Amino acid sequence: MYERLRRLRRASQLLFFTAFVLLFAFAAYPLRSPIPVDLFLRADPLIALSTMLSLRRVVFPLLWYALPVVVLSLAFGRVFCGWICPMGTAIDICERALNIRGRRPERAPQLSRLKFYLLIALIVTMLLPAAHRSAVDLSLSESVGLSAVYLVDPIALLTRTFTWVGLPAAQWALRLGGDTVTAWSYSDFLGDHPALARALSPAQLAFGSVARPAYFRLGVTSFVIFAAIIALSRYARRFWCRNLCPLGALLGWLGKVSPLRLAVSDKCTRCLRCVSECKMGAISEDPHRYVGSECIGCCTCLAVCPESAISLTAGREETGREDGLRLDRRRVLQAVGFGAAAVVLPKVEWAAKRSEAGERVLKISSERLIRPPGALAENEFVTACVRCGECMKVCPTNAIQPALGEGGIEAFGTPVIVPRIGPCMQPCDLCGRVCPTQALQPFDVEEKRHLYLGTASVDRSTCIAWAEDKQCLICDEACPYDAISQRVIEGLGRPVVDERVCVGCGMCEWVCPVEPLGAIRVGSSGDRRHLTLEERRHLREQAGKDTASESPYPGL
Amino acid sequence: MKRALTLGLTAYGVAELGGPDELRAATTGGPTIAVASKKSPAELVRAAVGAIGGIHRFVKPGASVLVKPNIGWARKPHQAATTNPEVVAEIVRLCKQAGAREVKVMDHAVDGPDALVLKITGIEAAAREAGAKVSLASSPALYEKVDLPRGKALKSVHVLRDLRRADVFINVPIAKVHGTTRLTLGCKNLMGIVWDRGAWHRSASLDQAIADCAAEIRPHLVILDAIQILLTNGPKGPGRTEKKDIVVAGTDQLAVDAYGATLFGRTPTSIAHLKRAHEMGVGEIDLDRVKVKHV
Repeated sequence: MYERLRRLRRASQLLFFTAFVLLFAFAAYPLRSPIPVDLFLRADPLIALSTMLSLRRVVFPLLWYALPVVVLSLAFGRVFCGWICPMGTAIDICERALNIRGRRPERAPQLSRLKFYLLIALIVTMLLPAAHRSAVDLSLSESVGLSAVYLVDPIALLTRTFTWVGLPAAQWALRLGGDTVTAWSYSDFLGDHPALARALSPAQLAFGSVARPAYFRLGVTSFVIFAAIIALSRYARRFWCRNLCPLGALLGWLGKVSPLRLAVSDKCTRCLRCVSECKMGAISEDPHRYVGSECIGCCTCLAVCPESAISLTAGREETGREDGLRLDRRRVLQAVGFGAAAVVLPKVEWAAKRSEAGERVLKISSERLIRPPGALAENEFVTACVRCGECMKVCPTNAIQPALGEGGIEAFGTPVIVPRIGPCMQPCDLCGRVCPTQALQPFDVEEKRHLYLGTASVDRSTCIAWAEDKQCLICDEACPYDAISQRVIEGLGRPVVDERVCVGCGMCEWVCPVEPLGAIRVGSSGDRRHLTLEERRHLREQAGKDTASESPYPGL
Repeated sequence: MKRALTLGLTAYGVAELGGPDELRAATTGGPTIAVASKKSPAELVRAAVGAIGGIHRFVKPGASVLVKPNIGWARKPHQAATTNPEVVAEIVRLCKQAGAREVKVMDHAVDGPDALVLKITGIEAAAREAGAKVSLASSPALYEKVDLPRGKALKSVHVLRDLRRADVFINVPIAKVHGTTRLTLGCKNLMGIVWDRGAWHRSASLDQAIADCAAEIRPHLVILDAIQILLTNGPKGPGRTEKKDIVVAGTDQLAVDAYGATLFGRTPTSIAHLKRAHEMGVGEIDLDRVKVKHV
């Protein structure tokens, strides 16, 4: 009977992992998915907790989706980890495929409480005022916490790894295949054998579908982190879930009240099969006892027990479940101190310099910090973003990239637009529709002309129209918002930017033929997130560009 | 060598496709163009092509056809930044009816990503329904180097491989104003069959680069879409448009473009790249020497 339960658990893992992969794949133009593509991120209670605590407000899309997982954990313990979590399943799959299932248990460090300390440190960073929304009101309610949860949240980490590593790898494989087929189908040999060439053309179409494989700046870094997590399984199975995962810690703590328990009967012969088979090392030397917060309900012990001595019971009667977290007080204090230090750390950095406009905090003073449209004000944005990479995955031009140093250390990995890699397409609103924490707010394509991301400026010393008197106005041609006009000097048009109209989409920088930097570049000076939508609309009206009643810019 | 030879054949293919002799004879040595007006887009295409000898003159049964409309921008059809999808679809249908083995509709978009451009312009849906293979060539693997022996600004370009493979090449520009080159018509539309357009801008003169390419790569048939023309803020718009309901067809690239220029109230010689292309012997720019059939 329990063997069947174990099989059901495996099926559930496979089902949810497949769902995770499919939703990831569906996070692309034209984004027609009946289920939110960021479902797993929304349902992650740690992300919900972090976002709401550090933003000091309720984010409903997170609340509604995370609530079922909380209820599930209260009722059944950490079954999310054993039955649902795609990270857990990914680790299981890799352990099996690479045959590295805890082969060195004797050297495995006993760190299972580390994840609780990590969680405590994270909660401290959420609560302390890491920054303020306003430049003058320094009250706690106007503050925002620091976002560090992205580093260790398993769902964000896995989604990010899929985006930054998996997607480019898959697309490059297709692209190389496509180039090979293309080279073949246009070769002279096939030119002389048109029938063969025709036979190849479907393959060419299939492979050729990826013209520009995605590229992300932190791909290798992300791969190394994921590989390290997998490699740790050499010491103990699910090393990550046992020792490091703060989501597991949170769910384990919630599961303390679960009425579902394992009970071991007198039939037990102390063969210790359950102890050695338990993925989580949850069962102690005495097989009658196990740690409740470590059990992920995988049912392995139930299935492998040769005497069928283990059974599932529900109720309040005492079994061998240990519910105490047995945290060390000194370590807890260290964790609090660590969290507090993490809040201070970004302040000592150069990029922590912020510009202020009256009462509002503008942004960190980096010229290349171009946020995607719909981004919250900078302080809130950095706090709310979990670096899951969904916006980067969905962006059809590959424009959205993880930040390196643009926003300071606390903004590492947050989305920035790098126009030289891709522009923000005018008729597109996809990134605002996939952000689980609403750090990127949903926006209307019609409104995009008021969502100023930055301002382009022409470098007249390298622009071939200005410096070399050549006929080039590609930036003017390509500008979707009509923000670039030409000034005719000595019979030749030279591009000029109207900063009231330019929203900094980066189309001009993308198409500029000057290599490698582009002679027209978007700078963050035009970021107008500190202005209200009304003020921004007024700006455009001043330029006389919004006279038409209907927006001239079509949606998808 | 073989490439040069093949392109040479393409270049002089106009004369060899049959039919132009009697048309030439009918005029005093100048080329003939057809101007269709005041009809639905599909009827305009049929009338214009019919007036210069019909599609059978160009497309033989079993031929492969490359149609090159302007699919450069993510703009809707009524914004007149891209070729009218009904025009493209009707050309595809005509080719299919003439027995074409395959019709490919291709361009190299400036905007991206391709899926959005194809969808918003409406060309993918229309041409696919008419039986064409529609694609935007965004991979360098799809281009091959072609020398421009007579080129003054450019010595070589990377041209769509499918161009050399196709038996018939039909250029289907839309008539628009253009910030840099004043107008964009047929010659300028050829910029969409090359890979590195930046080189044209970096070259000594964009006008000359357009002429260089037009001198080497000659479409067999040019069909200019002037149904809705863009009058301001070209080539991408959005700008003021005007409904003209005109389609111009011809085999002489420059003659068609010269007529197109007049739609904007300009003399053909005032458009520098047309003038330069004429100097290179691409075609006839003087409309007095062109026989214009109004249908």
